[in-house]
Amino acid sequence: MDEKRFEQLLLTVQKPGRYSGGEINSVVKDKKDVDVRFAFCFPDSYEVGMSHLGIKILYSLFNERPDIWCERVFAPWTDFEAVMRSNDIPLFALESRDPVKDFDFIGFTLQYELSYTNVLNMLELAGVPLLAKDRTDFSPIVVAGGPCTCNAEPLADFIDIFFLGEGEEADLEVIDLYKKYKHNGGTKTDFLREASKIEGVYVPSLYDVKYNDDGTVSSVTPQFDDLPFPIRKRIETDLDKTYYPDEFVVPYIEIIHDRAVQEIFRGCIRGCRFCQAGFIYRPVREKSVDTICRQAKALCDSTGYDEISLSSLSTSDYTDLENLLNRLLEWTEKERISLSLPSLRIDKFSDELLEKINHDRKRGLTFAAEAGTQRLRDVINKNITEEEILSTCKTAFEGGYTAVKLYFMMGLPTETYDDIKGIAELAQKIVDTFYQMPNKPKGKSVSVNISVSNFVPKPFTPFQFHPQITRDEIISKQQYLKECIHSRKISYSYHENKTSFLEGVFARGDRRLSKVLIKAHEKGCKFDSWDEFFDLEKWLDAFNECGLDPEFYANRERPYDEINPWDHIDFCVSKEFLIRENENAKKAITTPNCRQKCSGCGANVFGKGVCFEKR
Amino acid sequence: MNRLMIRLIRKSGIDIWYTEGFNPHPYVTFALPLPLGFEGEYEIMDIRVMDDDYDISLIPEKLNSVCPRYIHFERAVEPQDKVGNIAFASYDILFDDNGEVSKALSSFLSKPSIIALKKTKKGDFKEIELKDKIKSYEISTKNGDTLLKIILPAGSNDNVNPSLLLEAFYGENTDVYYCFNVARTDILNASLGRFI
Repeated sequence: MDEKRFEQLLLTVQKPGRYSGGEINSVVKDKKDVDVRFAFCFPDSYEVGMSHLGIKILYSLFNERPDIWCERVFAPWTDFEAVMRSNDIPLFALESRDPVKDFDFIGFTLQYELSYTNVLNMLELAGVPLLAKDRTDFSPIVVAGGPCTCNAEPLADFIDIFFLGEGEEADLEVIDLYKKYKHNGGTKTDFLREASKIEGVYVPSLYDVKYNDDGTVSSVTPQFDDLPFPIRKRIETDLDKTYYPDEFVVPYIEIIHDRAVQEIFRGCIRGCRFCQAGFIYRPVREKSVDTICRQAKALCDSTGYDEISLSSLSTSDYTDLENLLNRLLEWTEKERISLSLPSLRIDKFSDELLEKINHDRKRGLTFAAEAGTQRLRDVINKNITEEEILSTCKTAFEGGYTAVKLYFMMGLPTETYDDIKGIAELAQKIVDTFYQMPNKPKGKSVSVNISVSNFVPKPFTPFQFHPQITRDEIISKQQYLKECIHSRKISYSYHENKTSFLEGVFARGDRRLSKVLIKAHEKGCKFDSWDEFFDLEKWLDAFNECGLDPEFYANRERPYDEINPWDHIDFCVSKEFLIRENENAKKAITTPNCRQKCSGCGANVFGKGVCFEKR
Repeated sequence: MNRLMIRLIRKSGIDIWYTEGFNPHPYVTFALPLPLGFEGEYEIMDIRVMDDDYDISLIPEKLNSVCPRYIHFERAVEPQDKVGNIAFASYDILFDDNGEVSKALSSFLSKPSIIALKKTKKGDFKEIELKDKIKSYEISTKNGDTLLKIILPAGSNDNVNPSLLLEAFYGENTDVYYCFNVARTDILNASLGRFI
């Protein structure tokens, strides 16, 4: 594309910085010097995709290799998509502006189900056939990774290779195998067949799925005897030895998380029963304090960021947090770098912790309480008590905070209207806590924000068997909660029920949904996670035209002996364990966390991590 | 741009002055910020270095070593003019030449009155007369493209963004011509000397 014309067109759209490339630390190589070109696609906007840690890790990892050039691709916003279509600009990669269809690999990261239509739209914009079976040329190979691959059956018809679990090793092994086939000649079929033998690689076209008359899965069969079955995920067993980037691409425009992100551990010890991440990233593996300090320092030096976020699923569960923070503060204070600790647990919040992260800016605090009553918190295994919530809020108020935000979920298994009312009552108690403080700041008011999302049952959680509550029930519960709130100090926000419904359908969907995705894509569905673009009517039409009932996927109780569409995928938490946990949930019996007691989930097969720590 | 500069400065290790309010932030200002999509050939950024004995001639090299492509630091000097002394800026505006653009431009610019519509802060439009604001201009060709060199008022007292002029031009000439590059080549004081 003519550069003059391209720049002219960029000026006609919002935020040209989304498409311009050329950011600090972006990697430009000479295409003549590389063997494999990898287009790393994030199926959402630049601002969302650039905030994602996984893409940064793999981008740098691939580009460390002189024979690979990995470039970034994001879903163009609708204004630029229109410009691209009317000027015949195919989907291009940011670094080289070369068309994505000429790359060796097109790799998607699947972070949430509602990005699936963007995957299709990006393939179409690239000029690549959507269906894997129609892509008969050797390249590009379309691959996908990310948490949704634990059940990416709805995308099975479009993707050549899924990477299950963590990609650092399997990705490079597949690239190396590809190089061999590219140079020695060979068919795509042979390559895929050989790739399927790499641990953590799932080639969906090599497995046949049959269905019963009632729509449930009757069998999943590998086409060859030597194919792995079930197909197990891959993980990094020693995070101190795992690659971590010392550079991030630093965007020109403001993105969602515009800071250095330092990963401190993977997995979560807690086992909250609603939380997919808490199960699919098992077992917990920590980085050492030394590793974290070294990596964080390198990142700050290379990016010029003045904020580091310590990233994990539950940062306050890091075993040596106090020591870690002290070590980091040794240099961050001097260099005016602030630390932020997302994902703090409400029961682990202390004065000292507050002191350490409390610099000059006093922002509000956010905690996840998840459910309004103790009974329901026990059902979901959240393992925090009301006293802990209130005493944490008191600590925060005494530390000068006046705003607290609490996350809750609606539609959890066994939930009643009393549990909903409990959300409002808990918020009221927090307001009262503020006013009962003898030394409360004069002239200051408190604000308690309760944010309620809709629970979506996910594969590989104990709640994978449960029906999602219907949209009508959500609406009526949302309305009821509104009526229960009597204080103007409490603000209440809730989530659109239609998107949650569709998320629920695709989370536990099967391969037949590929057809629905095509129909929805043809009707113009994209950016479905953005309320302003989401159009449920189009989706319902798409289901209708395919003769499929979305409620079959979302709102149905699944018996334990039913074959789930994801049962041939092995994320190393056993179905027996999930059933045991679900039974405990029904009786509101909590399960101790991984550091207290092993519950036998199955993640110890890797021989590493929390399963082998001394208790 | 502000964010980028702050990060480059931090990356380069130059210790600069932070504001001293409740929320200290690095002090970086631009004498005359460049509109989005323009090229800048002479841009000025003000920073305050903490160490009084710091050899400021080292600054460009330090910043260039951490800088992305297309941005280059020329030199660092003690300020000589006050920012309020900025009066004009010169621009090079390139048009795709279809044989007629230079004629259209010269007849457009030699009209007795050139009215442009400017969006006011309230959101409505105000008509402004550009004719007497154009300090000077010259039309020529460069590598087969048509080049308009023009000097327009700039700075805090009176500022004319060349886009205003271009829009007025397009307005009268439909959209058969298009300009593909605007470069601000210099920042000038009232006597058309270079602002330093």
